[in-house]
Amino acid sequence: MPRAVTTRRKAVTTLIAWTIGLLIFFPILWTVLTSFKSEADAIAIPPKFLNFDWTLANYVTVQERSNYFRHFWNSVVISFGSTLIGLLIAIPAAWSMAFVPGRRTRDILMWMLSTKMLPAVGVLVPIYLLARNTGLLDTRILLVGVLTLINLPIIVWMLYTYFREIPAEILEAARMDGATLRSEILYVLTPMAIPGIASTLLLNVILAWNEAFWTLNLTAARSAPLTAFIASYSSPEGLFYAKLSAASTMAIAPILILGWFSQKQLVRGLTFGAVK
Amino acid sequence: MKTTFRALLGATALCAAGSVAAQENVTLTVATVNNGDMIRMQALTSDFTEKHPGITVEWVTLEENVLRQRVTTDIATRGGQYDVMTIGTYEVPIWGAQGWLVSLNDLPEEWDADDLLPAIRDGLTVDGELYAAPFYGESSMVMYRRDLMEAAGLEMPDAPSWDFIKEAAAAMTDRDAEIYGICLRGKAGWGENMAFITAMANSYGARWFDEEWTPQFDSPEWRATLDDYLMLLTEYGPPGAANNGFNENLALFQQGKCGMWIDATVAASFVTNPADSTVADSVGFALAPDNGLGKRGNWLWAWSLGIPAGSQKVDAAKQFVAWATSKEYTALVAEREGWANVPPGTRQSLYDNPEYASVPFAQMTLDSINAADPTNPTVDPVPYTGVQFVAIPEFQGIGTAVGQQFAAALAGQATAEQALANAQALTTREMTRAGYPK
Amino acid sequence: MSTKASRTAARLMISPAVILLLGWMIVPLSMTLYFSFLRYNLLMPGMESWAGFENYHYFFTDPAFMAALRNTLVLVGGVLTITVIGGILIALLLDQPFWGQGIVRLLVLAPFFVMPTVSALVWKNMFMNPVNGVFAWLARSVGLQPYDFLTHAPLASIIGIVAWQWLPFAALILLTALQSLNSEQMEAAEMDGAGPLARFWFITLPHLARAITVVILIQTIFLLSIFAEILVTTNGGPGTASTNLTFLVYMQSLLQFDVGLGSAGGVVAIILANIVAIFLMRMIGKNLDA
Repeated sequence: MPRAVTTRRKAVTTLIAWTIGLLIFFPILWTVLTSFKSEADAIAIPPKFLNFDWTLANYVTVQERSNYFRHFWNSVVISFGSTLIGLLIAIPAAWSMAFVPGRRTRDILMWMLSTKMLPAVGVLVPIYLLARNTGLLDTRILLVGVLTLINLPIIVWMLYTYFREIPAEILEAARMDGATLRSEILYVLTPMAIPGIASTLLLNVILAWNEAFWTLNLTAARSAPLTAFIASYSSPEGLFYAKLSAASTMAIAPILILGWFSQKQLVRGLTFGAVK
Repeated sequence: MKTTFRALLGATALCAAGSVAAQENVTLTVATVNNGDMIRMQALTSDFTEKHPGITVEWVTLEENVLRQRVTTDIATRGGQYDVMTIGTYEVPIWGAQGWLVSLNDLPEEWDADDLLPAIRDGLTVDGELYAAPFYGESSMVMYRRDLMEAAGLEMPDAPSWDFIKEAAAAMTDRDAEIYGICLRGKAGWGENMAFITAMANSYGARWFDEEWTPQFDSPEWRATLDDYLMLLTEYGPPGAANNGFNENLALFQQGKCGMWIDATVAASFVTNPADSTVADSVGFALAPDNGLGKRGNWLWAWSLGIPAGSQKVDAAKQFVAWATSKEYTALVAEREGWANVPPGTRQSLYDNPEYASVPFAQMTLDSINAADPTNPTVDPVPYTGVQFVAIPEFQGIGTAVGQQFAAALAGQATAEQALANAQALTTREMTRAGYPK
Repeated sequence: MSTKASRTAARLMISPAVILLLGWMIVPLSMTLYFSFLRYNLLMPGMESWAGFENYHYFFTDPAFMAALRNTLVLVGGVLTITVIGGILIALLLDQPFWGQGIVRLLVLAPFFVMPTVSALVWKNMFMNPVNGVFAWLARSVGLQPYDFLTHAPLASIIGIVAWQWLPFAALILLTALQSLNSEQMEAAEMDGAGPLARFWFITLPHLARAITVVILIQTIFLLSIFAEILVTTNGGPGTASTNLTFLVYMQSLLQFDVGLGSAGGVVAIILANIVAIFLMRMIGKNLDA
């Protein structure tokens, strides 16, 4: 039961919480605002907050220079593709680890996580050579594959911790009631596992969307996602704050909106078994 | 059976020949830097594709360091992802010697290779084969604010000495008004601060290596170079100089915060463009400074287009390279954007053109380029070529590591003496590892 | 409940993931291991030769090596400290009733969605730049000289940027954990006269221990290989002040294309990462057991 709170105290908390929230959010807000300024306004002193001539010119310039929608689509395919394949592989694995744990389960899990620490810069050349020999350079298939492997440990682990929270007694009860394995999975387990799977999916889409080393190094024109798009604006000649802001806004907006809309689903399963 | 097979084979061959002749559906992937002139080229692609129907051009535009890492990995592993690569005078001699690039000696007559500026052409030629076509060439020079110079009661000579630069920097600095006498590159990197410092060192009589490939950072000439560089930036430079590269300084100069800026000649068209620059009307130009030793502190660089050997689309790629580096392309840019915006520094004909002569920085750019000599860059003899770099594969790593030492000295984390000692030690180490002297 | 049959089934279900990860680890790792014993520079093809431990010798004696090791630990430790403490404070705050809770939560969550490259670019240019940055303007408007973050406190600045990105993650996990706290226990403690600090120390913090462990574990995995933020902001400098192990390997393998030396560095980095991992597991892994 929430305790009774005085209005006065609530007002103070509101003030503090909003101040902190806005401070944390400010860099993003500032980027978005700057993207609508002219280059001269972007560096004006004192900074112009809202009182500038709003312009879409930066977005037009960025779109003229690069095919945003192709990069966007590549990002979507790569991040969702790698996450979905990762889930397909990870669900059975996490499932068996959670419900039929063996002596080695923990070791396997920890070993999986340790593969995540492979420093990408150290193995770029071997991977590049392999990709060239298989003719997969600059294809989305290659990136989906690499990102699946990179994020697989996190997916397995997240699902494992979530599945483990599902009480085994429920399964046994269902079995006693004569449920078949099929209906057991379909009607008992799936509904309980959905939040965990949804949350895993979202987190990994975000991680894959923002992965900037492999996506930049294994692509050229055809399969380059938004991380490569940003690399062409990172330090152009002359005043560039406004154009940089526009490109940044375009690169982060889709994932930010997705994240905001699915915030509840993301948070619900984002516990890694930390909540008892 | 056999005949059918032969017939089929013949038909395929015919088809292949036909498609090459008609150039159907060739897609070229062009990797380039996100510099202003290249972005303009990208915007003008339609002119090329209209003249060459059937060729499509895909652009990969990346920031310089990312681009270099991408194209080097690709060409060294024969990845084949790019059909045309934008590379500089550092890469061309090394890659050309490895046989990684297609010779461009057979570009059409009307492309006119003899029109290229000799210093630039020499830098892109290995054993008589031209391995890349220059898109724009640059040297470095002094850009300064005429109004501030006048207010300080000084007059910039056409060929200033370092002593004059020091005097002028002191006179122009007004920290309260956020006017800094001099802006120079400080950000660590072989193509950033080391490009400037190495060129400056040449004019102080210093050199990277002696003829036996022994590093020379323990010489008094290097000490004098670094002392003056640090003094200029700490006394008269902007805050945060240790993180300023070309772009950061350009932004500062365009905002009117720098009295002088010694950097690439291509910057001239950006600082005089009223659309971007608040000081467009008051910029003056002078040759890079010297110390009376016969060498000036200016470098030489040409962003050029090269074709990787083994590409399946050499013919189409050559047509693209010839288009982008032609006189016609220059005329096209002049017609659409004005003469001040054409890619400079590659062809004599541009400087003979009376219309271009009226551009304020044209003559100074040409003089600067002609004053640089990559085959004989230093006062004392050296075993390497390259003005602001040493054209050996190891240089990128060594140059950046030394650049970090000098940036640390600029940030006040080390003294000039320590920075030079560290530079000497790490260069000796890396050169020993690489097996020099060879 | 586990029978022999279900064990077999379990093995079958787990094997695709294990085999794939094994392949992903072994193929590049064995190539890296092999390369690490070669003199092999991409820019000098045809010159490959057996080098023995020469590459390792050069990597360990690199003057930047110790600095990189120290920076890696400081970077990981610094970000963890900020995100855990800041995360707890924010979680406590968001757990209080106030108006607009949903919106504030979205605001706090946002940095987690931002690409590392973008956040580094934005912080470097629009905030920390000593001439045009927002911080410089703030300093000047109160009459101070602008502080040059990336020159005088490069590692701390990078820690700040990275912590900004990871703070939402920590805050959210801790908030979820906090919300599962039994409020009756809290009220009982309050009735017994325990002050807010005592309640936090003896009830809230122990309850959060598991969540804190998870935050530390996950973040460490990502923080050990921080790279983009350093490349964009300081290039590892000035000097080696902000070079971590990943960046050192990058300098050696990708900047001068010395595959041999870079591979040796890669192998060393993998070993060190695993040592840290084992250390972490031993130290706090107990917390994770049910």
